[in-house]
Amino acid sequence: MAIFNIETAQNVEISKKIPCEKPLLEQLEIMERYTSVYKARLGSSKEMREAACLEVLYPTLFRHIQDQDLIAGRLDFLPIGFGCVTSLGGVGHYCVFRKLKAFRAQLPEEERHRVDTLYRYWEDHDLKTTYNKETLREGVLGMFIDTEYPMIATARLSGMMLDYPTLLSLGIGGLRERIAGRLREDPGNEFLQAGLLCLDIFVRSAEALKQDALSQRAAATPERAAELARMAEVLEKIKEDAPSTFPEALQLLWLYALLAGVINYGRLDDFLGPFLANDLASGALTEQEAYRYVKSLWTLIENRRTTVNGRIIVGGRGRKHPKEADIFLHIAMKVARDCRYVEPQFTLRLDKDTSEEIWDEALDALGAGATYPTLYNDDVEVPAVAYGMRIDEKAAEQYVPFGCTEFVIQGQSTGTPNICINLLKILTIYMNGGVDPEDGIRKDGGVPIKPLSEYRTFEEFYDGYKKLLDFYLDLSAQAQYHSYEVMNREVAFLFTSLLMDDCIARGKALLDGGVRYLGGTNETYGNINASDSLLAVKTLVFDRKKYTLEQVGAAMLANFEGYEALRADCLRCDKYGNDLDTADSMADDLYRFVAKGVRDRGIAVGMQYFLIVISNNQLNTEWGLKTGASPDGRLRGMYMNPANNPQGGADKNGPTAMLNSLTRFDARYHAGSVQNIKFTPGMFNRHRDVIKSLFKTYFARGGCHLMVTVVDHGVLEDAVKHPENYPNLIVRVSGFSAVFVDLSPEIQQELLSRVLYDEQNSLR
Amino acid sequence: MTSRIPSAETVLRVVSIQRFSLQDGPGIRTTVFLQGCPLHCPWCANPESRPLHPVQRHSVGKCSRCLRCAAVCPEGCIQPGPDGFPSFDRKSCIGCGTCEKTCPGGAISVSGKPMTVREIMETVGRDTDYYRNSGGGVTFSGGEPLLQPEGLMDLLEAAKDQGIDTAIETCGNVPTERILQAAPLTGLFLFDIKHDDPVVLKKVTGGDADLIFRNLAALSGTGRKVIARVPCIPGFNLEENVLRDIYTRIAACGIGTVRLLPYHTYGVDKYRELSLPYTFPRKGIGNEDLEAFVQMGRRMGLDVQPW
Repeated sequence: MAIFNIETAQNVEISKKIPCEKPLLEQLEIMERYTSVYKARLGSSKEMREAACLEVLYPTLFRHIQDQDLIAGRLDFLPIGFGCVTSLGGVGHYCVFRKLKAFRAQLPEEERHRVDTLYRYWEDHDLKTTYNKETLREGVLGMFIDTEYPMIATARLSGMMLDYPTLLSLGIGGLRERIAGRLREDPGNEFLQAGLLCLDIFVRSAEALKQDALSQRAAATPERAAELARMAEVLEKIKEDAPSTFPEALQLLWLYALLAGVINYGRLDDFLGPFLANDLASGALTEQEAYRYVKSLWTLIENRRTTVNGRIIVGGRGRKHPKEADIFLHIAMKVARDCRYVEPQFTLRLDKDTSEEIWDEALDALGAGATYPTLYNDDVEVPAVAYGMRIDEKAAEQYVPFGCTEFVIQGQSTGTPNICINLLKILTIYMNGGVDPEDGIRKDGGVPIKPLSEYRTFEEFYDGYKKLLDFYLDLSAQAQYHSYEVMNREVAFLFTSLLMDDCIARGKALLDGGVRYLGGTNETYGNINASDSLLAVKTLVFDRKKYTLEQVGAAMLANFEGYEALRADCLRCDKYGNDLDTADSMADDLYRFVAKGVRDRGIAVGMQYFLIVISNNQLNTEWGLKTGASPDGRLRGMYMNPANNPQGGADKNGPTAMLNSLTRFDARYHAGSVQNIKFTPGMFNRHRDVIKSLFKTYFARGGCHLMVTVVDHGVLEDAVKHPENYPNLIVRVSGFSAVFVDLSPEIQQELLSRVLYDEQNSLR
Repeated sequence: MTSRIPSAETVLRVVSIQRFSLQDGPGIRTTVFLQGCPLHCPWCANPESRPLHPVQRHSVGKCSRCLRCAAVCPEGCIQPGPDGFPSFDRKSCIGCGTCEKTCPGGAISVSGKPMTVREIMETVGRDTDYYRNSGGGVTFSGGEPLLQPEGLMDLLEAAKDQGIDTAIETCGNVPTERILQAAPLTGLFLFDIKHDDPVVLKKVTGGDADLIFRNLAALSGTGRKVIARVPCIPGFNLEENVLRDIYTRIAACGIGTVRLLPYHTYGVDKYRELSLPYTFPRKGIGNEDLEAFVQMGRRMGLDVQPW
């Protein structure tokens, strides 16, 4: 077991969380109550224990309805509680020790011992800590997010997108009847029993929110009082009945998502479109009112502040109600353009049949600087997902990106990325005899590594690197699978399981054999730096024989100090992102090795799929800080390339060349690959037709995806100097959008390094 | 020349190849800048493209004075110079690019390196579907592309074979038969007209106004699509009477489409890198400064817009 610090930050948190509404002592009492219920239920089944613990939390943790809300439901999170993901609360029965410590510091001195008691208890019971104790390995596998390690692992259940169509068609009453029906066939099934308790929790929560709405009427304006009354009616209705109106459907979906702790929402256009179309047709809602409802949803999602989640997907193949769905889509496009929030991560799936109207709306929103929608190309993704996940195309049509870009099949699969691997750091370790040049610690996992002087051919050198990668890839599949084993031992994720195929039918929680497709993902970092480094070694050492491998190794250890000419040669070697066969083929070769290696190992270990995602939050920068100098000419501590884009500034041949390079990776071997591109407003808005044909051609050539930032020259530079002037400047970091001035200086620099395409690139 | 068989191995001197070029014709384009120009317009943004032979650009700011360039130059045309910086005998450069490859700071770039038609078209051909979907293509520019007529004809043939639309940017100061020979293979001519007064044009740029207008008329007679482009240079031609005369001459040649290019100074640094003086104002102008001239042209019945 590795030694780890349980107070390490466990996820990326850029957006500032809204503080808990309740007084500190009340928060403490809830955590104590939760802990004592958990303790008392240690002997129960995990399902019944979970239900009992959830009863402590809900509806207690609901915040008051706010004045602008048209949909009810805002939640607080405490340092101890229950959840699915690290960005809201924690995973399973959790304690976030870092936050508990900060909470303690706010308490009066005489109460702090109560926190100490909790802290000590949860050291042995926090799910993630349990996982870490069992899984982490000194030198090779660290915890999220400990960038000293070449690979990190966690236990979490990210990216669940539930089967909302079933929820909306059955309603809570219908769902209850379905569970009860199964229970009659399988009496004593505690998963199903606990599921029924969850629906009771749902009803109590709806009731509590209803009472809140009613009690706020007295002090409200007549207009607001009417809204609150309507909200109360809606909440009353959805306690039992299937929704029949757009507000009811929205409320049901939202409240359920909150209780399940899921933070990605799926193909809302298809689920909600028919309700919306009906209400508009009957005159129950005006378009303006519909806009306000959607905007209210946007605001509630923004206020959850998960930083990298909040996906809403519209458009694409496999929608059951495309016509009605497009009504929602059009309104959502306007809301996304107008709000310019960092969340929800509004996502458009498109294909060659997508209408010009939808294209134009998307480009308008992007041109306004919204960074949304992110664009996914179904013509490529659907068959790729079918192959990668080993499912048929019909099922693959229900793929949805979550988080930074990872795919799951809505209502049918898990896909949580519980592993991240730094391919470049592993290369620097490999080129230093198995020792990390950053800290002198051996991180070769016992894989024998020859001295640099002994490699006679590039193939031999590359094979040695692959052997070390093999060790890490083996470990990644085991660690991912074990995260499911540990979570399954402790929790059932009841609310989530109830809306995932085929949990109710099988009478099993999702990680207990319930979920139809048990998948997972592995985030790879430093891909392009690694392949550009391999090419530099090949070119300079083995092809041109200008330097020996030892010289390159020595230059890396010296951070190129005293090796400036060697570094200049490294930088001048061909680089990925320029549409050059040399660099792009090397990148593709490494990609195939890693992606196929991960996929094969996932299948072998018993998963439906385990695929790499070339996603990216800000870890490329943070991990770069702890990664030694590399043969691509990158200095020690410098950011690494974002996702599968080139290293910032390395692409010099313009956007078509960059996009051509991006199309090189066969999408069948990954479950999402973030691809960023940045334009000035002048370029993007004055040459709209060119931009549209650029994107369409890229997609027709096999491009799978694009995330677009539109920002002017000098704006980001000025925002670094005068952050106070740019409180609302939104940029695409990579797999997520953020307010630029909230980012750390290193991440800001990485964003600045990326090429900004403008109009001044060819002048006579 | 008429009986030449097109060859992919013809060598041209190339300044640079610019992909995703939006300034040199419609849609998404790749612009191939070819070395050599018969004129020497003092405002030119690409002064490195003037000589027919290769030249080295040298950025003092990036130079560490290591003089590795002088050590490796096979022709001996780089020598230690004043203040320890290299000094360049630009007339003797053969365009091998050794200095460029050696310089650790990236301070040297060689313009006019030899490339075959095949090599050029390999790059051009990588964006073919972008051209097709955006109404774009390849533009041959310079310098003056018609100064390398054989290579240019081979490039035009190759583009035709690959189904790529073509455009030529020309100053028009070339033998008429070259233009007429290129015309059938060229989708669009961007034909620069700088002045109508032969004396002024000759004095400032070295150009022959009569030849240029004769060529414009001849080209117009072929029925090819031609856009006359007027670089609007304060202190040279940006005056009402000059523009009026230019418009008149263009119209008389049978050309109805005119685009005005506002003067800019993006090329100023290159003059320093070539050890050449820059004698024109350091401040560019905007489309708004051209509005009166646009209106005048329209009143004369021409289709005039800023470029």
